[in-house]
Amino acid sequence: MTTAVDIRDVTKIYSPDSSQAVTALENISLTINDNEFFTLLGPSGCGKTTLLRLIAGFEQVSGGEIMLFDKEIENLEPNRRSVNTVFQHYALFPHMTVADNVAFGLERLKKPKAEIKATVERVLTLVKMKELGDRRPNQLSGGQQQRVALARALAPSPKVLLLDEPLSALDLKLRQAMREELKQLQRETGITFVFVTHDQEEALAMSDRIAVMSNGEIQQIGRPTEIYEHPANRFVADFIGDTNFMDGEIVNLSDDLVTCRIGTQSLFETENSGHHKVGDQVTLSLRPEKIMLSVLESNNDANQRPGKVTNLIYLGNQTAYSVDMGDGIQLTAQARPREDGELPFAIGDSIAVSFSTRAMRVLAE
Amino acid sequence: MLPVGHYRGLSAWTAVFFIFLYLPIVVLIFYSFNANRMVMNWGGFGIDWYIKAFNNADIQKAVWNSLVVATVATGVATAIATIGALVLARGGNFRGKTVSLGLITLPLMVPEIVTAVAVLIFFSAIGMNLGLGNVIIAHITFCIPFAFMPIRARLEGMDTNLEQAARDLYASEWETFRFVTMPLLMPGIVAGAMLSFVISMDDFIITLMVGGAGSTTLPVYIYSMIRRGLTPEINAVSTMLLLASIAIVTAYWILSKKTQNTLNR
Repeated sequence: MTTAVDIRDVTKIYSPDSSQAVTALENISLTINDNEFFTLLGPSGCGKTTLLRLIAGFEQVSGGEIMLFDKEIENLEPNRRSVNTVFQHYALFPHMTVADNVAFGLERLKKPKAEIKATVERVLTLVKMKELGDRRPNQLSGGQQQRVALARALAPSPKVLLLDEPLSALDLKLRQAMREELKQLQRETGITFVFVTHDQEEALAMSDRIAVMSNGEIQQIGRPTEIYEHPANRFVADFIGDTNFMDGEIVNLSDDLVTCRIGTQSLFETENSGHHKVGDQVTLSLRPEKIMLSVLESNNDANQRPGKVTNLIYLGNQTAYSVDMGDGIQLTAQARPREDGELPFAIGDSIAVSFSTRAMRVLAE
Repeated sequence: MLPVGHYRGLSAWTAVFFIFLYLPIVVLIFYSFNANRMVMNWGGFGIDWYIKAFNNADIQKAVWNSLVVATVATGVATAIATIGALVLARGGNFRGKTVSLGLITLPLMVPEIVTAVAVLIFFSAIGMNLGLGNVIIAHITFCIPFAFMPIRARLEGMDTNLEQAARDLYASEWETFRFVTMPLLMPGIVAGAMLSFVISMDDFIITLMVGGAGSTTLPVYIYSMIRRGLTPEINAVSTMLLLASIAIVTAYWILSKKTQNTLNR
């Protein structure tokens, strides 16, 4: 597998000489593979946009190296790097037509006129904007401007395409449609995409791999399923999706199971990931959709525990239930509506709660 | 806020205000068509004074001087103001930035007579006597802040992402300026140039002080005509100067209307 972008020990400090020095990135290292849809995910201020701007060349690194296909680029001017950017607010040139915007990069690269014309037509067709080449950016809707920005960045056939929250300015329906289109565009062109977003749903839906960032550091890098199912720490588990956190203590270890005590006496078993010892204080994470709620029956199944519904939120395709398990344990779980559309449980119902030993995660602190 | 119609008597006061402001100018224009030799005695309609003014060699020379001074001063001042605005708006933070900004705009607040005396003393101290050249240099100094302000305002309102996008699309710094910054800045530059042109055409005190014999501009010439006695010829010349100013301001207004939406999408 070829490495497209190699970030080595990159640090970025803003105004390093003043008293207000801000460390935006601290010793970041990561590799992005060729032909990959790679997402930098994190809350605002986590350094994801800074990293993107370092790759594009709009900011200078304070330390470390950035390699683009084995070529050192961190000291090159932005126009000497074969990467192109799709800006958050598109940054289309208002004094040029759509076609001139798309041709801009090709003209600076001194491509022959005929080739420029053909390429402009090809990429505008690719983003379904062929008919609107004569328009000015201010005559286009937000979604159309988005497509032009994509076409303009794709036209010079960059080695890597950088996307800075390109969907954040669109409304919900359009955003969801553009997700699929972006993913398809990446597959068709085979260009490496580096996508910056704070929207975890967007990241899970489109990415081959995700780097979750917080406070200028990388928390975890992995495929969407790895990130969701095996969060490396509490931050990742909390930022990606919804989950129940419980504080506990490890009381027993076997080859493949960890027994944790939560509250004063409740014991839970979960898979042994091999990083813990008896007596460790740990945080456990349990996703709401992994919890099964059922009617409480008298024949006491070992896997089932009793609970009481304290609150519910109707969400249409499902209902979120707050369940009091006793011993100070509160869980949020999900249940689908019954076939007749009615809710399976009501507030105050006593119910049975169950989940598999593989559902609960012991998190590193 | 209440609609203005709510305040009684406001429209009457506004009318009085505008009459006070514009009536003298209307009277001036009216009497420029007077066929009588006396300024304030109406002797019937005529354009004799315009013809006379057009054929007056001194006036021709003064108009020519004014145009030369205004054109050259505007060109140089606008170029300097553009470079200054680019440095101040795009040059990042550097030592003395705030001071520079203050010094560029300060001449707007310095009384003109102070500048005039200072420039006059400066020229005689270094013994420089370039005739019209002295006037041009003096005009450049006070035109710079007028050219600078609209250019800087335009630059400040411009999205810096546009310039980054150009750099990202393989444009060098020069190409970025040539193809993105400059075209988007143009309305600001034109506005600055028109403003300094009008200011230069109109200037009296500094020109009177600095200009020697042979470098009389139109405002200075009109002043000397008044001292020799009022004739409707002065009205005619003033009216033409007014028309030229209005033409320039109108051109600027139309231009800025047309280009406004290119910046603000």
